[in-house]
Amino acid sequence: MAYDSASLDKPLDILKSYDWGGDASAFQTIDAAVLAAHTDQAARADLEKRLSSLLGEGTSRAAKEYVCRKLSLIGTAASVPSLAALLPEQEHSHMARFALERIDAAEAAEALRKALGSVTGDLKIGMISSLAGRGDAASVPLIAALLSADSRTALAAADALGRIHTPEATQALAAAAGVTDQAVAAAIIDARLACAEWLLRQGKRPESMAIYKSLADAAAKGTTPTAKSTRLAAARGILACLDTTTTS
Amino acid sequence: MRLLSNRFHGAIGLNAFTLALACLCCCLPRAIAAESVPQDAVQMTIDLITRDDPDFRGIGLDRVRHGLKGEATTQTLAGLLSKLAPARQVELTAALADRGDRAALPAVLALLAVSPDATVRAAAVHAVGSLGGNAEVATLTKSLATADPEKAAARRALTVIRGADATALIVAATKQADAALRPVLIDILADRRAVTALPDLLVAAIGDDASTRTAAMRAISKFGGPEQVSGMVLGVLKANAGGERDEAERALVTVCTQNPGKERATEILLEQFKAADAIAQETLLTVLGRVGGNGAIAVVDGLLADSTAAKRKLGLAALTKWPDATVSQRLLDLLDKAQDPADRDLLLAALIRIAPLPDNKLNDAQKLELLQKTMSLCQRDDDRRRVLERANAIRTIGALRFVVPYLDDPNLAEPACLSVVELAHHRSLRDANKDEFMKALEKVLGTTKNEELVERADRYKQGQTWERKKPAAKG
Repeated sequence: MAYDSASLDKPLDILKSYDWGGDASAFQTIDAAVLAAHTDQAARADLEKRLSSLLGEGTSRAAKEYVCRKLSLIGTAASVPSLAALLPEQEHSHMARFALERIDAAEAAEALRKALGSVTGDLKIGMISSLAGRGDAASVPLIAALLSADSRTALAAADALGRIHTPEATQALAAAAGVTDQAVAAAIIDARLACAEWLLRQGKRPESMAIYKSLADAAAKGTTPTAKSTRLAAARGILACLDTTTTS
Repeated sequence: MRLLSNRFHGAIGLNAFTLALACLCCCLPRAIAAESVPQDAVQMTIDLITRDDPDFRGIGLDRVRHGLKGEATTQTLAGLLSKLAPARQVELTAALADRGDRAALPAVLALLAVSPDATVRAAAVHAVGSLGGNAEVATLTKSLATADPEKAAARRALTVIRGADATALIVAATKQADAALRPVLIDILADRRAVTALPDLLVAAIGDDASTRTAAMRAISKFGGPEQVSGMVLGVLKANAGGERDEAERALVTVCTQNPGKERATEILLEQFKAADAIAQETLLTVLGRVGGNGAIAVVDGLLADSTAAKRKLGLAALTKWPDATVSQRLLDLLDKAQDPADRDLLLAALIRIAPLPDNKLNDAQKLELLQKTMSLCQRDDDRRRVLERANAIRTIGALRFVVPYLDDPNLAEPACLSVVELAHHRSLRDANKDEFMKALEKVLGTTKNEELVERADRYKQGQTWERKKPAAKG
């Protein structure tokens, strides 16, 4: 179906005041337009602009959620300012991140990093999670600094670094291995194991082995909160690294 | 932590570890020393699988199963078997079986040859089944003559063992086995779906030993077709009257009603019947009745119209075995005229059985109508009870309305209660006719003496479900 901008006038107008549980049949036209715009740059730019314009004042929460979902599919750098403006808002931050996490533009990551420095509490944890979801290497120093923050934030940071698993992330986790908070220490071990497994899958056996061995040493000294499970995971990892007959 | 701090502390290049590895290499077969074998990984695996902690052993055994590829490594690992305690032997043998490398077979066979431990022997037999081939059939057949768990392991092993001639070798073993073992071997051939063994199974089906004949007929029923019908007819004729005959008939009925080529199989059965002498025909009539169909009904009609009472009796017996309701009118007509109480019993039982059968070629309304007609012909409460109990197989509101009036009859109230509750078990039927079911269930609660029915009726009234108790496992 070809993209027809005029056909969206009425559905977009209805959308502005849409609430959950209401009649969503009018939005089928918008859904079809999203599909049609996928291979049509001009149509995509037009649709993105029209959808982004609904993210300001006077649009219902349900409508904004719908728009964020659509922008996660067709959004570009052009949508980032509108979405970024929602990041500090308790009600909309989550869906704005949903879109920004998926938009393939450096500006989207930059917006999340910027928000990371300004929001607090659950919203900050959300930013950490979305940056990890993007595998954003540039955010490693920012996230690593949060390993010494409050326990919940530090847990999220450790998990994020494990998911980003760049050499810098790996180093940051190793450097923080001595934290005293038991829960954070356990999360750091999990994250380091995630890094080691990723390295092994990439065929980087020596690098992977170094992490496993370091964890095994720490567990042997009793300096980890999960000594037995860490020893088991490390033993399994070391064995996998040594077994050159099998691709991991 | 012994493993990691002692053996791997200081990385793989650590002196103590390197020394240990060097010592180990002296003891290993030459092949393991080849550059392609990661000796440190092999040694670590050995270390893990010999530890006391089952979690660490699990890691090593997982590597045996899925890693450390290569025959040389397999031989090294299998070589450990003779040095381990029985419990560890069982674990490693199972892992080697899962590994699937035949290079472990000599060590596993050696273990089987010397171990007196029943669980070790069972594990070894299991592994021989996974790793072995033609040459191991004889060994496994020998284990089949032992006691469980080795016997059970041998049965499974012979079922899965590979090898181009494995089936032929099992057939040969069957012929040489004693009477006690022959049925077991035939069951194994059946589980292997050994189509090539069908000619031998047909021979076994008419052999001298009843258990062997029964096993052979059962095996043929699993994958036999039209080509086996003539031989199976001989099997039915050879079977002793009673349990063996019944099983043999069921096997032949399966081939004629369920297996591929069932239509042709039925034609051949009919041809065989027509060609048989009178005595054989008498035996085969039951099978013919159980198979049903147009050809069979012509034969049965001929018998029912015969002037000889004995032949009419045979026709009636065959008719009462029919698998569907296509003969219901015949049964009703015969019941109407029947004088002999035994004949009446047979005919009523057939109608009560056939009327609500799920695949009896009638729709639900026709099924209920037939059951109601049958009820009207019942002269004893025992028969009426059976009709009421069968009514719940017809899951309609009509069936409920048929049953409900009997709740007031003291002699028939319990079977009526059962059927009301069984029908109420089906939520969609119950919810679609809520008022009627609520009244009926209320009446059940005030009538039945059966505690389980009270509990169920109460639950259904409250819109709840009830989990049917599973029958106790056999043996």
